[in-house]
Amino acid sequence: MMKGNVNVVFVGHVDHGKSTLIGRLLYDSKSIKDDKVTEIQKLVEEYKRRFEFAYFLDAFEDELKEERTIDTVSLMFEGKKNCYTITDVPGHKEFIKNMLTGASHAEVGVLVVSAEEGVKEQTRRHMFLLKMLGIENVLVVINKMDAVGYKKEKFENVKSEVVQLLEGFGYKDVIFIPGSAMEGDNIYRKSDKMDWYEGPTLIEALDGLEIKQQERAMRFVVQDIYEIEGEEIVVGRVESGRLRVKDKVVFEPSGVVTEIEKIKVYGEELQEANMGDCVGIVIPAEVKRGDVGGHIEKPPKPVNKFMGEVVLIDKKLRKGDTVQLKCGTARVGCKIEQIREKIDLETGEVIEQCPEEIKEHEAATIVFNTEPVVVERFTEIPELGRFVVVKGGKNIGAGIVLDLIT
Amino acid sequence: MRLRELENRSIYIIREAYAEFDKLAVLWSTGKDSTTVLWLCRKAFFGKIPFPVIHIDTGYKFKQMYEFRDKIAKEWGVDLIIARNEEAIKAGVGPQHGKFECCTKLKTQALMKCLREYGFEALILAIRRDEHGIRAKERYFSPRDMQFRWDYKDQPLEMWDQYQSIEEIGYHIRVHPILHWRELDVWEYIKQEGIPVNPMYFAKDGKRYRSLGCEPCTLPIESNAKTINEIVEEIKTTKIAERSGRAQDKEKAFMMQKLRALGYM
Repeated sequence: MMKGNVNVVFVGHVDHGKSTLIGRLLYDSKSIKDDKVTEIQKLVEEYKRRFEFAYFLDAFEDELKEERTIDTVSLMFEGKKNCYTITDVPGHKEFIKNMLTGASHAEVGVLVVSAEEGVKEQTRRHMFLLKMLGIENVLVVINKMDAVGYKKEKFENVKSEVVQLLEGFGYKDVIFIPGSAMEGDNIYRKSDKMDWYEGPTLIEALDGLEIKQQERAMRFVVQDIYEIEGEEIVVGRVESGRLRVKDKVVFEPSGVVTEIEKIKVYGEELQEANMGDCVGIVIPAEVKRGDVGGHIEKPPKPVNKFMGEVVLIDKKLRKGDTVQLKCGTARVGCKIEQIREKIDLETGEVIEQCPEEIKEHEAATIVFNTEPVVVERFTEIPELGRFVVVKGGKNIGAGIVLDLIT
Repeated sequence: MRLRELENRSIYIIREAYAEFDKLAVLWSTGKDSTTVLWLCRKAFFGKIPFPVIHIDTGYKFKQMYEFRDKIAKEWGVDLIIARNEEAIKAGVGPQHGKFECCTKLKTQALMKCLREYGFEALILAIRRDEHGIRAKERYFSPRDMQFRWDYKDQPLEMWDQYQSIEEIGYHIRVHPILHWRELDVWEYIKQEGIPVNPMYFAKDGKRYRSLGCEPCTLPIESNAKTINEIVEEIKTTKIAERSGRAQDKEKAFMMQKLRALGYM
């Protein structure tokens, strides 16, 4: 039996030890090949550095020289129960773009907090972003316990500070692990220096997570239409729910109601397709790229106006600006009708009502006036409740749909 | 289940690339990864790949690679473009004068010429994150400028399958549909699908090739794995990296970063 894949992102403040922690996890689980270790040892000598576990991750010359992570990196390793894609993200504010790129596919977030320093600026900011990305599973490692003499009191102090932060973002009953990435305590192996702690190690906690998959309404996004041996095949992906042959489906914004005649993959006809499946369908109707299909009982509805929460990572957004939105395979022009509230990335609190503009590394709730497009509330169908803002051909911001305005 | 997830994601990316770019091509070294990508392209388009397949020929590839290439190209009916930097080959460029120069001229520059000649906007490549630390930093859609440079310090925001399109004329996009696959996944998929692979991957006289490249710079590993099942078992337990037999990665520190910054694959 092959193990399932779980995507985990490690977040936290600069120098709280994210990269070291991942390096330690990979090293102790014997996921690092011998010649990689030799290569790193050679580099360490060449650059006259002390060996660091983080060197397994930071591959750029600049990262090694500056001793900081610049870009996100993903690595894979096998736990006892699951197969993990581990993503490290940079802690510096200037690299939020890379942090979002790395975190956007995660199902689990591991927040790393230094026992010496406690909650800092990026601890808060990263939690805000995890919350916004809809990552529901969060674990906390209170790292660098070796530096505070493995004291329970120190752990409890930092823990209560983090609990307060997490509760503010709606996270409850989170597992806290006292650990030391440097020394390997409670990461892959149980520490013998903290008798007072009876909880799981990090790997045990990861293997013990239950990732919930909720039943949601069926949505099929149209990617393209191919003509194969005289037959028109509409290709796309089932974003949620289940699609079956003979289902009655409506495609919006084209407004086409039709019945599924065939579901095809190369060399095979299927009776049904499930969430995540990329298939071709044959229907007696014309649809186009950007259309979204759904069962007629729970149809997708095109909107002209919606409210979203956006984090901007580049340039500026002003009231009245025209930008493009990408959601699913749809790409539509839209106008910033109103910037309602500017939100503090560290606390999630509203800091300004109706500002004229927001700048890079700022967040806001915004009313978008768009060409007809199917979007859904993020809380209902997340796959179609998230979008990217495009300006001048560049992805400049990411957002989630809070509410549809009809 | 895992393989199905991987395949779905890759096919989605390939179809996005085809919808986005008018002039698209896929790079095929004839190795296991790019042959897998070709297979995925066939599946994405129900049997027939609707864009050209480029093979960069350094003139230094193994004989078996040329044989395999011609056989598969014919069987699958692909529109094959063979890209060679004839000038450099005539001038005698080779690994003996430095691997960095050799890779850059015979691979990167051969590709650059081909790209300009045909005007391709995007190229599908079979690199994977787990092959090399530098490749682990890649995006699915990764822009390259006129000079082929990879601006790895300012990579695009890429979230929720919303990829970068072309920013300016002259740029091209590298599309990486199997970035998220591991070496083991590739072999398990080859096994599941029955994808043909070059016989050099299977052990002969106690040695096999784990990664294929140019003959002077590619060494076999010690192995007795004669079947796909044995290869899968070997990869599960090995302590040696996949590209250990590839000399160009190792000439000096950060060689791959430097090669890739100039447009190497």
